Parts: sequence; C-alpha cells; structure tokens
Amino acid sequence: MPTADVIGAYMLTLSGDASLVQDAGVLSSAGVLSIGFGDIAQLEYRHTSAISVTGVNAPLPAAGVQIKVPLPERKNLPVFGLAFRLGVPRTEKLGDTVIEEAVTDLYLVGRLRFSFAPWLTLHGGARISSAKIELFGDREGTENTLAERRLTLPTGGYEIAMNKYAKIVGEVALAPRFSFVPGPDTQPAIGYGVLGRLGLRWSVTPALIIDGSINYQTEFGRVADVATLDAIVQWDIRLGAEVFLPWGALACRAVGVFCD
Amino acid sequence: MSRASGILISTVMLTGAIARAQPAPDVPIAPPPTPPGGQPAAGDPGAPPTTPPGPDGQPQQPPDFGDPYAPVKPVAEAPKRQLPPIFMPEVLTTPTGWLLPAGVIYSKTALDTGGGVSSDTRVGLGDVAEFGLASTDAVRERDGDDDARATRIQPYITASFRLGIAENRLFLGQPGFTLGFRKSFERNHDNFRTRIAELTLVASKHFGPNVAVHLGGAFWDASLEGDLDDDDVSARREITLHGQNDVTQQLRAFGGIELRPLPKSQILVDLGWSPEFCYQCTAGGSAPDVNKIRLRPTLSWGVRYEVADWMRLESGVRVPDIGEANLLDAQIFGQVTFTSRALQRAIEGLR
Repeated sequence: MPTADVIGAYMLTLSGDASLVQDAGVLSSAGVLSIGFGDIAQLEYRHTSAISVTGVNAPLPAAGVQIKVPLPERKNLPVFGLAFRLGVPRTEKLGDTVIEEAVTDLYLVGRLRFSFAPWLTLHGGARISSAKIELFGDREGTENTLAERRLTLPTGGYEIAMNKYAKIVGEVALAPRFSFVPGPDTQPAIGYGVLGRLGLRWSVTPALIIDGSINYQTEFGRVADVATLDAIVQWDIRLGAEVFLPWGALACRAVGVFCD
Repeated sequence: MSRASGILISTVMLTGAIARAQPAPDVPIAPPPTPPGGQPAAGDPGAPPTTPPGPDGQPQQPPDFGDPYAPVKPVAEAPKRQLPPIFMPEVLTTPTGWLLPAGVIYSKTALDTGGGVSSDTRVGLGDVAEFGLASTDAVRERDGDDDARATRIQPYITASFRLGIAENRLFLGQPGFTLGFRKSFERNHDNFRTRIAELTLVASKHFGPNVAVHLGGAFWDASLEGDLDDDDVSARREITLHGQNDVTQQLRAFGGIELRPLPKSQILVDLGWSPEFCYQCTAGGSAPDVNKIRLRPTLSWGVRYEVADWMRLESGVRVPDIGEANLLDAQIFGQVTFTSRALQRAIEGLR
C-alpha cells in the first residue's frame, strides 16, 4: 500500500521485491520507480497488487502520481496523501485464451504518529479500483468475454520501530482478484482478494533499504477455490530492496544543473 | 718566559671555566624561570618566538617541516562498539527463539550415517529478522502401506524467514520470541510433486549462563500431487494437509534444551517434527487420504563444541521417527557451523 509521504525533491527511488516460493517455477516480482517533486509529489511507475486468474499475486503495471496533502503536520493528527495510478494492461495466456487485465486506482491514505508512542506509526486508507478483464485468442468474437467492476478496497498497516535501523512492518489490504475458468462460453469475473504481509524494513545505509516479509493471500467471498487461512503452503516469502538516488546532487556535480 | 707562561695558564684557566660552564650533553637544560603570572616576560630570551598575526587576526602557526627523529605518537583508535553475542538459530533440528544479529552470516553443513546431507545458510536482518535458504533431508517418503521403511527425499530446498524480539528486549527476563515461516520449493520426485510449509512460534530463555530452554508450536502444511490411488487407473490429483480439515493434524509442539557443562561445550536435546509422504497409502478407513501426509516426531541429542568464535562442531544421534521407537533408523550425524561477522563489520563501516 502507498503511504501518505512522498520522497524528497531531486530524489529518485528504485525498489523491487521478488519471491521464488509463491508458485512453482514462477518468479513473482514487483517494482517501483519514483521521482520526487518539490517535497509534495512523486511520479511513479509501479506494480499494483492484484491476484491473477492463476491465483498468484501477480502485480499489474501502472503509471501514477502521488501527492501529499499540503497541510501543516501536528502531533497526534494524521497527514493525508492522494494517489492516482493509471493501469497498463497486462496479458497472460491460459491455454489458447489470451487474457488481458488492467486496474486503474485512486488512493486516499493517511498516516498517524503519536507523541506518546513515537515508535508506532499507523497507516490506513482506501483504494477505489476500476478493474477490467477481457478475453482474446480463441475467445475473440465470442460472447461473455468482458468483465468490468469498480471496487472499494480498504487498506491498513503499521510500523513498529525496533531499533535505530529496523522496523517491523505489517499491512492488510483488499485487492482485485481476477478469475476465469477456461471454456467455450465461460465469463471472467472480478472479485475481492485479501493480501497480508508481515515483515521488516531495515535501513542498511541511508541509501539502501532491505525488505523481507511473510505474505498471505486469500480470496474474499469465495470467488474461486484459493487458499484459506490455514493453507500456509500457499503463503510466500518475499525479499526486496529500495535504493535512493539523489539525482539532483548527481546532476549538479556532473553538469552543474539543479545546484540550487 | 714567565709572561708567556702566565698567558698560557690564564688561557687554559679561562677556556676550562667556559667549558665547565657548559652543560653535559646528556643533562637536560632547565627551563628559564617563569615570572609570576605564568607568562614569559617580554623580551625574555627564554620566551618562545612570537609569530605575527595572520590576515584573520589569529596567530600563524610556524610551518612544521617534521622531525624525522621524533618519536611516533601512538594512534588512539576509536573504541569499537560491543557486538552482540551470537546465539544459534537452531538447537539441533528445531528452531530457537533467538535471531542472528544484523549482518551476521550463518552456514551449517551436516552429514549423517544414513547418507543424508543437509545445509543451511542464513543472514541476520536488522536484529529483527533473518532470511535463509536450506537443503534439508528431513522429509521422507513411502510408496504405500506395504513399504515399511521410509526413505528420504533429498535435496529438499526450503526458504525461511523469521521475525522476532530478542531476549530481555522488552523487559528483563523476557524470553526471546521468533515467528518463523519456512516453505519448500516444489519437489518432483518419482513423478510425485510435493511441497511443505511450516509456521512456527518459539520462545527461548536462558536460566543462568549454562542452561537454556526452548519451547514452541508449529503449524504445518504440505501438498502432494500425483497418481495417489493404488488402482489400475492412472489419474493425477492433489491433496493437502490443510485439506483434511483437521487442524490437530497440522499443529505440533516442539522444544529443546541446552546445557553447558564446560565453557565451550554444550549438551543439546530437541524434539521436532518432519513430514512424511506415503503416496498410495489407503489405511485411513473412511478417509483414505489421511495417511498420505503425516507428521512424524524426530528426537535428536548431541553435543556442540565451540572451536572458535566463528566455528562450532556438533555431533549426535537423530531418530527420525521416535513415534515408532524404531532405533534401526537412528543416524549418527556430524555438522559444522560457521558464523561470520564480516558483513556486519562492513555495514558498520559504511555507517
């Protein structure tokens, strides 16, 4: 989930995470490229979370902008952020059927810190998603090839600072879940899935952060036969990293621009 | 003549007096007396030469051309931060409630008399978590009800991630806690595909410097896919441990104890669990699949000798299925564990 904060001006972050044990033979990965603008916004190309027709948490690509609402920060009061992510269609193949999935999102998220518990940070918000799934390939020209749905997906998370460099991080979010059973006249569907994550965020150096987490996913509303909470064989371990690049400072040293 | 002798005697007496007035080469010259107030008097020939002030008004330091014969001043090194001790993340086969410190790399390789080879490599993350990759020989298989002796599926590759709170972190006397998750990559063996996963919560506590106790619970899951029916029809299907809809088949308690009778030697005992797949077992009565995935208790005991801070040797006995008291399957194992703080020091240096 995004947070209400944005990266600083003249900064660029590149992050990614991956899992090898989520599904046999599948390297499930996701990444984010963000550029900060004016300490108030960031442009990003990222993978947003969604569950594909194969039951795998296969993030969908999206380009977006995120804005931190410019209100003065006060103790024990939340700060807010808005994010818009324009979905880029992703294609996957199931037999002879080509499936195209896309999700466009609008996020409203808040972040809250407490003066009496400075080690705790809470995040919460909602994601309004327009999801679309369409069939091509052997289903092109047949009926029932399109499904579209608008979903309201609550999301929440927390961070607990364990020491100067490491935090325990947890989040739970609903995500769009695509489902499709191959057949001559079957229609694809879009439902809700739950994604949960518990892990750590470790600042190895000021420019490098390592993330590691245990991931859990299931569907919401029994759209298809996926995991229940006790099916830990469907759980997943993800490792990731985030690198911060002060591109403004580098450009200043290289060609003498953005030095102010 | 007498005049010449007088001049000679006077010259000798004078030069002797001058020579006597000079200090011996190894006698230090006493500093000139300091006038009251501690500051040398102006014009005092013993006063150090003053330098004219620089452009910023501060007195300029005379150029130092260096003294090649000056004694070398000892370089005062910054005091090194006390690194936290390394407590092992496993007793012998079961996890502990202790985590590796941040940046510490751990590597264990084991051999046993049954031909089992296993390895385990981990890295500590932020004093809060650790990630590891391992190859275990603990998962076993049987073909069917008539196959009395289980054999090992190896190598069986797993990834693990553990998250926890160090001992005494929240309050004095608090045990160390870890929440661990271990999951295997899919293993295709004899045309049967298997996977295992284990979620553990374990607490570890020292009782004095020489005793530590570990106690935990594990929630297991596993999947098995293949031709699981002992009939003439070749049909593949998949079953899971959680699909048996009996949580008691997934939950198990485990634990261990560490005793340190000598400063560098420990006695270790632990009881854990390992999955066993029986591909075509049907002895479940009304639920014929119930015996296809089972958890078997494993008892291990042995000693650990700390050869160095970075190396430990362990040896002992492991009984893979103590539930059936089958000591014929017992294995004597030896394992070597290395720990390295090189990455930890490199990270400290980068900071």
